[in-house]
Amino acid sequence: MTQQNIKQFTKAVGNATEINELLRRYGVKFGIYKNGVFNEQFFPFDPIPRVIASEDFKSIEKGLVQRVNALNEFLFDIYHDKKIVKEGIIPENFIYISKGYLAQCEEITPKNRIYSHISGIDLVQAKDGEWYILEDNLRIPSGASYPLIARELTRIAAPDAFSENEIVDNRNYAKLLKETMEYANCGGIRAILTPGRYNAAYFEHSYLAEHTGSVLVQNDELFVEDNILYHRTYSGGKTRIGVLYRRIADEYLDPLNFLPESLIGIPNLMEVYRSGNVGIINAPGNGVADDKGIYYFVPKMIKYYLGEEPILKNAPTYLPFYEEDMKYVMDNLEKLVIKDVAEAGGYGVVFGRDLTKEKLEEFRRTIIGEPRRFIAQEVIDFLDLPILDNGETVMRKADLRAFVLSGETTKVWASGLTRFSRNPDSFVVNSSQGGGFKDTWILK
Amino acid sequence: MKTLSFSFSTKLTFDDYVHDHSFALRIIPPNTEAQKIISCGLDISPAVATKQTVDAFGNNVTAGYIQGDHRFLDFEIKGTAEVDSSKHCTFLMPCYLYQSEYTVPDEELRAFYTELKDKNISDVSDRAAFFSDILSDIIEYKKGVTTTATTAAEAFAMKTGVCQDFSHILISLLRMDSIPARYVAGLAFCDGETHSWVEYWTGSHWEGIDPANNCPVNDDYLVISTGRDFRDCAIDRGVMFGRYTQQLQLVRSVLA
Repeated sequence: MTQQNIKQFTKAVGNATEINELLRRYGVKFGIYKNGVFNEQFFPFDPIPRVIASEDFKSIEKGLVQRVNALNEFLFDIYHDKKIVKEGIIPENFIYISKGYLAQCEEITPKNRIYSHISGIDLVQAKDGEWYILEDNLRIPSGASYPLIARELTRIAAPDAFSENEIVDNRNYAKLLKETMEYANCGGIRAILTPGRYNAAYFEHSYLAEHTGSVLVQNDELFVEDNILYHRTYSGGKTRIGVLYRRIADEYLDPLNFLPESLIGIPNLMEVYRSGNVGIINAPGNGVADDKGIYYFVPKMIKYYLGEEPILKNAPTYLPFYEEDMKYVMDNLEKLVIKDVAEAGGYGVVFGRDLTKEKLEEFRRTIIGEPRRFIAQEVIDFLDLPILDNGETVMRKADLRAFVLSGETTKVWASGLTRFSRNPDSFVVNSSQGGGFKDTWILK
Repeated sequence: MKTLSFSFSTKLTFDDYVHDHSFALRIIPPNTEAQKIISCGLDISPAVATKQTVDAFGNNVTAGYIQGDHRFLDFEIKGTAEVDSSKHCTFLMPCYLYQSEYTVPDEELRAFYTELKDKNISDVSDRAAFFSDILSDIIEYKKGVTTTATTAAEAFAMKTGVCQDFSHILISLLRMDSIPARYVAGLAFCDGETHSWVEYWTGSHWEGIDPANNCPVNDDYLVISTGRDFRDCAIDRGVMFGRYTQQLQLVRSVLA
C-alpha cells in the first residue's frame, strides 16, 4: 500500500471518531482490573490499517502452521511418552515446575490429538522486514473479534477502500472457528463458556457465540450427569454439549479437580473430558507449552518433531537457568528485556535500560536467586506503524497477534489483531496496558 | 500376602436442604501389583446414578449428581482384597519429584532439611526411614490442631499434626532430597477413620512408609488412592447449592 493510498484511505474514513463512535455503540469494550476494581474501557481503534503484502503473508503463514503443529506434537508428547524430555532436549524441571503443566491431564488424548485449537501467536516485524515470534498463546488467546467488528464497521464507513484495494476478506473467522469446534465435537451442541459480563473479553465471547451459532453459557446453566455434559434448557430439559469453547482459565474449570473455591467452573467436567465425551477448546494443560521458559525451546521442538528448520525466528532469548546464558544476562542486563515467566498481559516485563543502577543491582540478585523465573531477550527494534493522533500521523510501536486454527488442517486466519502502544516511548502494546488496535489487511 | 476384608462409610448431613449437588468420590481401592481387589461394593444414598472413571494418578473416581433437594449424602464401600506388600508398583509419574501445593517448604522446613541432608546415609530406603525417625521425635501426633487444609510447612511450624500432616512433611523432605514421593490415602490400623502414609521411589519401584507410626508399610495397609498430596486423594469432594450453614461428616472404617 502506498503512502498515497493511506492518505486516500484515511481521508475516506474521515477520522477515527466515526468508527470509534460506532464501536462504542456496538459495545466493543475491553475490561481491565486495577487494584481490585473492574473498569471497562473502549479499546481505541486506529483507522489506518496495517498492510501485509501477499508474499510476506505466505511466508508468515507457513511459519505459523509449522510452529503450531510442532506445539501440538509437543503437548501430546508431554502428556504421554515425554520423549523430548527423555532425550534431553528440554530439561525435565522446565516442564514440571511450570504452572501450566497439569498432572491431572496425564494420558488424556483429546479428539484428533489436537490440544491447541485456537493459537494466538504474537509477532513483531523488525526494521529490516524480518518477522520474529514474541510469544505463543495457547490457552485462551483473545482478540479475534476486534479486527472482525472493526472491519465490518470500516466497510460501512468507507466502502470504497475495499473496492479500490485488493484485500483478502477476513469475515471467514467465524466459519473457521465453527469448523474447528465441529472437528473437536464429541457429539452434541457447540457452547461457549464465559465467566460473565465482568470478564475483560465478554464482548468477544458474545460476539463469537452469535457468529458461530454456538450457545453462550455460564456455569450455572451446565451440569454433568452420567459422565455427559448438559445444558439446562429453559423448559427444564437438557441438551448434550459436544464441544465447549471455554473462556475461563484451567484452574477454575472444574472445582472437583482444580481450585475447589472456583465458582465459575463445572464440577466433574474433567471426568467427562477424560472419557472423550466432550471436547474442550483449548485443551486443559496447554499452559506448559506457552510458558515463557518453554518458548526458548520451540525452535528445537520444530526440528525434533517435524524434522524441519524453523521458518519463523524467535527473538534472541537467554535462559539464566543455563550458566552460559546467566553470564551473558549479567553482563548485558542494561540492554535486555527481562520477562517473568509466570506473568502475562504485559505485566512482569522489565527493560534493563529503564532501571537505575541500584535497581539493576537489585534485579541482578533477584535473577541469580530465581534463575528459572526469568527469560531475557534482546530488544528488537521493531517497525513503527503510522497511527492517527488528533488528526496528525505519528509513528508508534506495534505487534501482530496472528490467529491459527487447528482442525482437520492447520489454518492461519488472513487477518489478525495489530496492537500498538499509544505512548511514543513504549514497546509494550498489550491491550491491558492501555494500547489500541488496528485492522490488519492481507493483500491478495 | 494377606486377605483383608474392609468397609468404610461416610455420612454427610446438612442442616438445610441442598440441591444441584455434584460429587466425586475416590473411595474404590484400585487393583495394583501389590493389591488385588476380590470384591468391592459401593452403596450411595440417596439413590443416584454414578459413573466410574480412572484419574491421571490411577485412582478410581465415582462421579454423581443429585439435582433435587436432599439433606444428606451417605456412601459405603465393603469388600475384600489380597494385599502383598512384597510386590511393588513400578510406574513413576515424573511430577512426584516436584513439590506440590501442600508440600512446598517454607524457610524453616528448608533449613531443617539442610541440616539433615549431609547425614552419611546413601540408601534411599534408609534415608526415608531416617527422616521418618526424626519426624516421630519432633512432631507430636495430636488431633484437632491441624485441618485438611494445613500444609506441610504449617504443620511443621506447629510441630503437631495427624497422619496427613506427617505424610506431607515427609514428602516435602523426600522431594527436597531428590527422591520422588507420593501421598497415599487408605485404610490401616483400624482406627475408625481413613489413614494416610507415604510411598517413595527406590529407583525401580514404590515402597511404603508410615511416618505417623514411624514404621514400614506391610500387608495390613489397603491403598485407596495415591497422588501428589492430599488434594489428589480426598475421599470425597463436592459442590452443592442451598442455604445450609453446616455440614456434619461421620466416618467409620473397619479393616480385618
